[in-house]
Amino acid sequence: MKKILASLCTIFLFSNLVTSAKAEINFLIGTWAEEPLTPFVEAFEKETGIEVNIQTFPFRDLLATIEVRGNAQADDVDVIFVDAPLVPSYAVRGMIGPMDQYFADTSINSIFAPAGIAAASWNGEMYAPPLNNSGQLTYYNKDLLAKAGCAEPSMIEAERVTWEEIVDCAKKITDEANGIHGFIFDQISRYYQLQALPESAGGGSGVCEGGLSVKGCLTNDGWMKAGQFYYDIHNTSNISPKGVGPDQTHELFGLGKIGIFVGGSWNNGRWADTDLNYGVALHPYFEGGKVVTGCNSWHIGVWNYSKQKDDAAKLVRYLTASPEIAIHYVESHNSLPAHNSAILHVAEDPKFNNFPGIVMNLATYESANHCATRGRTPGFLEFEEIVNTSFEDIRNGGDPASVLADAESRIESSMRRYK
Amino acid sequence: MVPYLFLAPALVGTIAFKLYPIFIGFWESLIYTSFSGGAEKRIFVWFENYQYLFDDKIFWKSLEITAFLTIIINPLQIAMSLGLALLLMRKSKFIRVIRSLYLLPIGIALPIATIIWGLMLDPNQGLINGLIGVFGIPPQPFLVSENQALWCIIAIATWKGVAFWMLFLLAGLEDIPKQYYEAAEIDGATPFQKFRYVTIPQLKRTILFVFVADTAANFVLMVPMIILTKGGPLQSTNVLIYEGYRSGFYYQDWGRSLSIITILTVITLIVIGLQLLFLSEKNEGIKVK
Repeated sequence: MKKILASLCTIFLFSNLVTSAKAEINFLIGTWAEEPLTPFVEAFEKETGIEVNIQTFPFRDLLATIEVRGNAQADDVDVIFVDAPLVPSYAVRGMIGPMDQYFADTSINSIFAPAGIAAASWNGEMYAPPLNNSGQLTYYNKDLLAKAGCAEPSMIEAERVTWEEIVDCAKKITDEANGIHGFIFDQISRYYQLQALPESAGGGSGVCEGGLSVKGCLTNDGWMKAGQFYYDIHNTSNISPKGVGPDQTHELFGLGKIGIFVGGSWNNGRWADTDLNYGVALHPYFEGGKVVTGCNSWHIGVWNYSKQKDDAAKLVRYLTASPEIAIHYVESHNSLPAHNSAILHVAEDPKFNNFPGIVMNLATYESANHCATRGRTPGFLEFEEIVNTSFEDIRNGGDPASVLADAESRIESSMRRYK
Repeated sequence: MVPYLFLAPALVGTIAFKLYPIFIGFWESLIYTSFSGGAEKRIFVWFENYQYLFDDKIFWKSLEITAFLTIIINPLQIAMSLGLALLLMRKSKFIRVIRSLYLLPIGIALPIATIIWGLMLDPNQGLINGLIGVFGIPPQPFLVSENQALWCIIAIATWKGVAFWMLFLLAGLEDIPKQYYEAAEIDGATPFQKFRYVTIPQLKRTILFVFVADTAANFVLMVPMIILTKGGPLQSTNVLIYEGYRSGFYYQDWGRSLSIITILTVITLIVIGLQLLFLSEKNEGIKVK
C-alpha cells in the first residue's frame, strides 16, 4: 500500500512539474470571435506547445475588464483584443506595448493594408496589428420598397443614395400600427456607425486636431445637422423605432419589419436562412456632402504587464499575419479583411461578384475609399462613451444642441488628464 | 479584557473590510492621475477633484436625482412592506401559501429580475404595453422616457425589495404581545387606533432598523441603471453611485469616481444619523396613550 501511495505521489509531483514547465498565456477576446478563432488558437498550441487560455467577454464587458486589469497592472493577462480607436488610449497609458520588434524580419506593409497599419499605430509605432476591418452598407427589403413605390438604392458610385432619399422612402414605408418602420441603423446610438453623419455633413470626427480637445468640434454645424437628423428620424418623422438595442436591429430587418437597414458587412450571413427578399447598396451620404462610412475593427495587442511577452507576441503574429486565418475570417464571419492576401482573395474570387457575396466586395470598396477613421485621441474611451450616451439621449427626445453642448463640455473636462 | 478579546475578530473585520476601504477611497480621491506627455503621473492635489466636481453640473444633476430617489423610494418601500406584513398577519387557511408567494421576489437575483422587467417594459414588444392596451391606454415609452424611467426603476426595486423588508416587519409584528391588542379592544379602540397606538410604537425599533438598512441599500442601487438605462435617458436615472461607477470603470477617472463615492458615503452617514436621531427610542416621537 505504501509503495502504491509513494508511486502516486511521485507521479503527481512529476506531472505537476511537467505542467508548470509548460507555457500558458491568457487571451482576452470578444464572445463573437471565439468560434472563428478557436481552431486557429488550437493549431497554435499544437505548433508551439504554448497553452492558450481564452477568456471571452461581451463587447462592453471586454472593455471594462481590460480597464480593471490595466488599473491593477495585472500580470495574469497576456494578449488582448483591442478596438481600433483605443490603440492610442492603451498605448499612452502603457497597457499595450509596441510590436514592431516582433515583425522586424518582415515588412508590415506587405502583410497589412495601410489603413489597418495606421489604426494599429500611435506616434509612429505599431502597437496592435489588425485582425480584421469593417465596412458599412445599405441593405433594403425589396418587397417593402416596391410596395411603397421607392426606387431601389444603387451599387453604382454615381447613383449613390442620399440620406434625404432614404428618409423620403422610409416615410412611405413606415406603418407604425403594424410595427413596420422605414429605416434603422445597425449600431443604434454608437459612434462607430453614426460618425458617418457629421463627417458627411462636414463636421469632422468630433475630436479636434491633436487629439486632446473637442472644443468646437462636437458643436459645429456638421454635428448639429447630424444631431438634428438623428433626432428627426426618431422623434419627428418616426421612421426609426425607439427602445430597440443594437443587438435587435438585424433581427427586425430579418423579420421584414424594417425597410432600409444601414449596417456592417457581417450582417450578410445572418439572413441566409430567412425568406427575406433583400438587396444591398452603397452607404448613404448627405446631398452635397462628403461620402463617408464607418470602418476599422478589432486588433490584437500584447499586454504590457505580461511576464510572457515573447510567447504572447508569437500568438499575436500567428493570428494576425497568417493569410489562411484572414481568409477564413472573411469566409466564415463576413468580416472585412485587413490582411493584403485576404483583400486580394475578395477581389479575385468570382463568388464575391454576385449577390450575396458582393456585399464583401462593396464593403471593401467603401472601406478602402470612404473610410472615416474614428477620432484619434488617448481619451477615446471617455469620448466614445459620452458620445454614445448623447446619441441615445437625442434619440430619446433630447434637444440635439444642448445634448451635444453638454457632451462637449464633459469630454473637454475629462481630456484635461491627457494635456 | 475578555469581552474585548471576543470582540476583536469582529473589530478586525470591520477595520479591514469597512474602515480601511473607506479611508483608501478618501485618500485616492485626493489624487489626480495625469497622462500628460504619455506617462502616467499620480499627483496629490488635496481637494481639487472635489472642486472640479462642485463645478460640474452633471454631478449636481446626479445629486438631485439621488435625493429624489431616496425621498420617494424609502418611505414607499417601508409603507408597502408594512402594509403587506399587516395583511400577512391575518388568519387564513392559505396564509402559508400566500406568504410563500409574496416571498418569491427575494429568491430572484436583482440582475435577473431587472432583465425580466426590462423585457416586460420594452416599449415595442413588452408585456406591460400589451396589458395596458387592453384598457385603451396608448403604449408608453417607459425606460426610454426622461419622465418615466426613474419611476420604472423605483417600481422594479420596490417589487424586489418589499418582500425582503416585509420579513423583518413580519417578525416584529409577531413579537408584539397579543394582550396589548386585547386590552385596546376592551378599551373600545378602533382598528386604526390599535395600529396607531399599539402596532406602531411596538414596531418602532424594527421600523428604525428597516428604514436605516433600506436607505443604505437604496443609496447604492445601480443594477437596473447598469442593465437597463445606463443613467439615461438624458441623465434621468444617473444616480450618484452610478456616476461614480461610470467615472471609474468607464472613464478611468478614479479621482472623480472616488470623490463621488466619498461624498455619497458622507451623505449616507448623515441621513442615517438623522434617522437614528429622530426615530430612536430616546426621542419619543410617538407616545402610547
